[in-house]
Amino acid sequence: MSIDAATSALHLSFPPTTATGFVVPQSRSFTVSVNPVVLFSVLDHYLRRQEKQHRVIGTLLGVRSEDGSEVEVRNCFPVSHDETDNQVAVDMEYHRNMFELHKKVNAKEVIVGWYATGSNLNQWNALIQDFYSREVMPPFQAIHLTMDTDLKNDDKLLGVKTYVSAPIGISAKPENCLFLPVPCDVKYFDAERSGLDLLASAKNDTDRSTSLFSDMDNLEKTIKAVFEMLERVTDYVNKVLDGSIPADNTIGRFLMDTISVVPKIDKVEFEKMFNGHLQDLLMVSYLANMTRTQLAIAERLQLLV
Amino acid sequence: MTSSGTPSTTKETLSNVNVTAALDVEGNVPLKSVQIDGLVVLKIIKHCREFFPNPVTGQLLGLDVNGVLEVTNCFPFPGSKADDENELVDGARYQVDMMRCLREVNVDNNTVGWYQSTYLGSFVTHKLIETQYNYQQTFNNKSVVIVHGMLDIKQYLNIFCLNQFLPANFFSLDVSRSTHGNLSLRAFRFSQAFMEAQKESKFTTESLIKNKLTFSNIFEELPITVKNSHLMTALLHSLDDYEHIIPKTTLDKETVVSPLSPNFDTLELSLDPYIEKNLEFLLEAVEEHTQEQNTYTFWQRNVGREQAKMQSALQKRKQENSSRQASGLEPLPEDDILKMYKLPAEPSRLDSLLITAQINNYCKQLNQYSGPTLGKFFMAGELQK
Repeated sequence: MSIDAATSALHLSFPPTTATGFVVPQSRSFTVSVNPVVLFSVLDHYLRRQEKQHRVIGTLLGVRSEDGSEVEVRNCFPVSHDETDNQVAVDMEYHRNMFELHKKVNAKEVIVGWYATGSNLNQWNALIQDFYSREVMPPFQAIHLTMDTDLKNDDKLLGVKTYVSAPIGISAKPENCLFLPVPCDVKYFDAERSGLDLLASAKNDTDRSTSLFSDMDNLEKTIKAVFEMLERVTDYVNKVLDGSIPADNTIGRFLMDTISVVPKIDKVEFEKMFNGHLQDLLMVSYLANMTRTQLAIAERLQLLV
Repeated sequence: MTSSGTPSTTKETLSNVNVTAALDVEGNVPLKSVQIDGLVVLKIIKHCREFFPNPVTGQLLGLDVNGVLEVTNCFPFPGSKADDENELVDGARYQVDMMRCLREVNVDNNTVGWYQSTYLGSFVTHKLIETQYNYQQTFNNKSVVIVHGMLDIKQYLNIFCLNQFLPANFFSLDVSRSTHGNLSLRAFRFSQAFMEAQKESKFTTESLIKNKLTFSNIFEELPITVKNSHLMTALLHSLDDYEHIIPKTTLDKETVVSPLSPNFDTLELSLDPYIEKNLEFLLEAVEEHTQEQNTYTFWQRNVGREQAKMQSALQKRKQENSSRQASGLEPLPEDDILKMYKLPAEPSRLDSLLITAQINNYCKQLNQYSGPTLGKFFMAGELQK
């Protein structure tokens, strides 16, 4: 999923760098996948900015695939910078220090680009992009990620866009560059998924907080969700049978496929399996309880001795 | 106490009076709960997942306000490859550097605890105790250990983050449960009783009784709430709004799923591996426990024997003395006999304490796990009909 409103931009394959003239093989188009941690870090940094700053920047860390066509952004850290009308200054020393520290923890992550909040791209962006292109090992391009914290776009969403730069214009000055948008995606792992779910459950709450769920609660939630979906489906099927909604063949076939996924096991077999598993589980739980009672008794006795 | 440093963030617009009132400078208000920022949760999970199955640790930063410990940021510690002097120095330097750098970007520069990943709930170890004790002492009972439990069954990660700081809490993150769709994060700190005992480093039976310390007393678990900032809430809403999807550049029409569509990992039916692993660990722990018991009984037997020997020597002395007196000689002192027979020292009961706590933990996990599993069983049964 791309976290952005639909644009009409074409996704071009990005150009070779002028430095080495190396042409990256264009077998696959260039995509960027972003870990949700990065997005949240950026927001957190923006929240903590100094009084006078309108936007903040930082470095993106991540890994690239071998042929350079896919970049995964895994981590990021903020970098302090100064921006006035005449000039922009980025604290390079700080950036290098932080990168060293991060490398100690995770040696695989390399600098893949930089981020900035605020959706407009101006000449400062071009300059900073140039600086980062030199940090990123050639021949690869630095990725520039923007996050629209002003919420000024039409859909009022936090748009996330990624770009690479291409030189444009007559002279090869660093300010002259064209930012090409690159498709980006949000990728996460299973374990992170449950973390995200937890955070998402807080979003409908008035004080934006939630407590951790036990296993039972989670199970209940998912079962409710499945139940709801089943209700919708049966509703639809009933309506079609009554004739109030025209039947749609594709949906019908899709439903049939879905239902046939439930494995059809012979009843007796299933009973046996079910009972066997059930007994195992009950036995384990009984043993665990017994151990705990034993420990509790020992604990009391210990205090008496 | 280091919590007196107020971070100059733009989001806290408390007046000076409020801030000093809320910050518990003296360390008098006991911690009641822990409030974690959404960002910290994600960061901990990511870090623990990357290094699964090795245990990893990291530092928690934040502030404690009115008895609620707010954790606003965290950073991971580099893994130690060898236990030598250089590693310790490096670790300390890393910490200092990191804190300094974070200070420049207005991140709360205040340590409130640490986190650790654990595998399937096995977090009650000596190392944990040491670190937590250090933290807790340094921060005046305001640090916490967070244990993130990770259970790796087919790349499931359980991370236990235990940060036991007296004040420091440690978070325990259970990743294996996370793979099943639940997030396992627990916050602990040492109880007062345990701190006292640890201070003296004496874990004999009498000291345990004096402090009323049993294995269930070691840790105090604190409830955790997760809080998001406004911008994060906005982001979560945007992620949810998946009608605005741009299809990926591959031209097939695969349905793109939003990151927040319902998560059906909890309905996973392969339940045995978790139970198996848990039982394995439980067995190991019980074996260790019996070993500890054996050491203790061995010691008791030794003491008994020594005492018996001492008694018999004393008896002989007494007899000698009486015979000497009969013959008019000076009675021999009895003290040197006492000095000759030294009673062996009682072995520390700390290990058995830890092991019993661990066993308890495993059993609790099994119980907690079997609850929903039963539900899932019956659900699968219904589907068949």
